This record gives sequence, C-alpha cells and structure tokens, in this order.
Amino acid sequence: MMLRIEDLRKRYSGVEVLKGVDLELRKGETKVIMGPSGAGKSTLLKCINLLVRPDGGRIFIDGEEITSKNDVYRVRQKIGFVFQEFNLFNHLTVMGNVTIGLTKVKGMSKNDAILKAKEVLRAVRIGEELWDRYPAQLSGGQKQRVAIARALAMDPVLMLYDEPTSALDPQLSMEVLSVMRELSKRGMTSLVVTHELSFAIEAASSIAVMYDGRIVEEGRPEEIIRSPKTAEARAIFKGRLNYVLV
Amino acid sequence: MFWYDLASSLLVGTMNTLELLLISAPLGAGLGIAIGILGSRKGFLSILARAFSSIFRGFPLLVTLFIVFFGLTDFGIYLSPTASAIISFILCSSAYISEYVRGAILSIDEGQSLAAKAIGMNETQEFLHIILPQAIRRALPSISNEIVYMVQYSSLAFAVGVQEVYSVAKSFNSLYFRPLEIFSILALIYLSMTALVTLAFRKLTERLRIP
Repeated sequence: MMLRIEDLRKRYSGVEVLKGVDLELRKGETKVIMGPSGAGKSTLLKCINLLVRPDGGRIFIDGEEITSKNDVYRVRQKIGFVFQEFNLFNHLTVMGNVTIGLTKVKGMSKNDAILKAKEVLRAVRIGEELWDRYPAQLSGGQKQRVAIARALAMDPVLMLYDEPTSALDPQLSMEVLSVMRELSKRGMTSLVVTHELSFAIEAASSIAVMYDGRIVEEGRPEEIIRSPKTAEARAIFKGRLNYVLV
Repeated sequence: MFWYDLASSLLVGTMNTLELLLISAPLGAGLGIAIGILGSRKGFLSILARAFSSIFRGFPLLVTLFIVFFGLTDFGIYLSPTASAIISFILCSSAYISEYVRGAILSIDEGQSLAAKAIGMNETQEFLHIILPQAIRRALPSISNEIVYMVQYSSLAFAVGVQEVYSVAKSFNSLYFRPLEIFSILALIYLSMTALVTLAFRKLTERLRIP
C-alpha cells in the first residue's frame, strides 16, 4: 500500500470535519474522491501531507506512519500537492517555480535542477516558449500544469489533487485532465478530489464518495455510477450516467 | 552680492542636509525592514518590534530629537547635533517603514505559504524565498513615500543646531529679509531632492517589477 488511512479525525473549533476516514491506495493506483462541498474532501487531502494536523487516526505513506512524525518537511517532499487556485509563486518564472524546490529544499545544483525542470515541464506539455514567463502571463490551464510540474519535480511517491480544474473553464480543464490522466496511466499514485466523472472513468480504479466527514461508499467507477448503493452517492451520480457513458 | 551669498550658503546647507539624508535613509530603510520582518513573526521579538514602532510613531520627531540630543546628556551621553538628528531620523523612519513592511508581509496570499509548505520548505525557507521577495516589492512605494517625508522633516534638525539647508535659509533671511526669493529657492531645493528620491525608487521598482 502506498497510502493507508485509518480512522482519521479532524475538528475545527468544535465542528467535526472528518469523522473517522479509512482509505487505501495501492502503488500506481488512482482514486477519485467525490462529494458535496463541506464533506471534508479538502481537509482529508491536506491532512495527508500534514498541511492540516489531524486530531486522531493514523496515516501511512509507503508503510511509514507519518502522523506522529515531527519531520513534516521531509514527509511533504514525498507528496505532491496540486491546489484548486494553482498557488504558483507569483515572483518567479515558470522555470523558477519548478526549480526552487529542487535548489532550496533538495539542495540540488542549479544546472541539475534546470535539467529536471525541463523534463517535468515537457511531461506536462509546457513548451520552451513559456519557461521565462511569470504566472500572471499564463492561462489558467497553463498555470495548473506548471503547478503539476512543480510538484512532480520533487519526485513524489504520491500526488494529491484538490479540485484541480474547479477554477477552469471546460476547455482549459481538458488540457489539465489529460496531463493528469497520462501521469496516472504511467503509474503515478494519485488521489484526486474532483467532480469530473469522465476523468474518474478513464483514469481511476475507484471512486470514493465522501459525505459529512465519512467515506460512505466506494467502488469501481462504472459500477458506482451505474448502481450507487447509498442515497448520498445516488445524489451525486443521478442523471449524469448517460452524459458520461454514451 | 545677495545672490552670490545666497547661493554659497544654500550650497553648504544643502550639503549638510544631504549628509543627514544619505546616512539616515538607507539605515532607516534597512532597520525598518528588519523590524518589520521581526514584527511579522511570532514570539517575544515580535512584541518588541511592534512596541518599537508604536513608540517611535507615537513620539513627535521633534520630541525624539530633543530626548536624543538633550535628554541623553543625563546619562553622560553627549551626541553632536548631526549625530542626534541622524539617530532620530532613523528611529522615526524605521518605525513607519517597519509597519509598511509588516503589512506587506501579512498581505501575501495564504496560498503562497501553503504551496511553499507543500514542496517541503521549512518556515525560514518559505519566508526567505517566497514571502519576503513579494512583500518587499509590495512595500517599496510606501518606503519611497517615507523617504520623501524624511527629506522634508530633515529640516527639523535646525532645532538642535544642525546647519542644514532650512536653518541656513532662515538665518540668511534674517540678514536680508527677502523671504520670497530665499524661501522659493529653498522650496525648489527640497523639491529637487524629493524628485530624485522618487526617481530612484521608480527605477528600483521597475527593475524588480514582476509582470
């Protein structure tokens, strides 16, 4: 197991956001989490790379328990995180955004970092003509692909995507989703919070439905979409089946 | 004779004013940035930093100047008028600049910090490489403004007897009593100095500009 979560709990000022989440993700597997806003999806992802400290439960990355670790910086280096709002470093070029983690965190030489950056930027199809641009000079889709490259450059064992296309129009979403799909196909272990059913069907081995701080149902995409067992899952997939499976 | 005397006295005065400014402005900006950074962090030093800026923004500059020049003599510290003026200007400007810098640091979007953490940066790396470079750029116009003020309030140094350009003009006027000519020229001198400061900061801002 690349990722195992046991009875994860988190409360914010008295409100319980995660009420005991269990989740497993095999190496090379891609799993999609769906659910209404406020279900705790984002909090769950942020707990996994310790951007949010869980109150209870345990998280194992590649067999290693991380929730009791104090070295959060080392844990985070191994986990790529992609934000809904991209969060590219505004004062750095595309190249700077991708290399800064390599040079400052990993202590890589500038030349090696640039080589690595070129590799990952090509993988997300960001062409050479964009490498000297600043975030403000990029389209949303380009920004998000650079953000993916920034995460990939650190050689993560696990990628977490927090609604990566929710701030993008359908066309720009497509270019981001196709990059994510490629990465998944090439065996990048990924946990993706998204509302994109087509991505789930094409790239994910399963969909976990989250509701009110719990995972209420989980299953292979076609199955869970076709015959959801819980009312919560039905509410999500109702009427979207034909749209996806035609 | 009047014009020659006026020109030569104002030249000497301007030199003295420039001496005050060329030392006070960089040190005031540097100290202000340092104190602003401390004030934006957590812990005891942050409380000290914010107390510093509250105190020296609260004291009128003239009062600070008198404390430094006259007050410190009670402790056996006798500072020259010029040194007293420079110290007071640094205290005053750094107090204001530290608040501009602290505000700029706090204004940087939370997402920048999250993204830095997500690639494994510790707090120092995050601050140094991600937050500060953006905050300093954001604070530059306000820092420039504070230095422009400093050009103006450098005239207060006359109160402890520094022969800066305002005090020279004032004495000259008591000899000749031609206030229109004397003070108009004095105004132009201050205007040129502030124009230079503004220009220098504009160049700096352009160089550091992020698209």
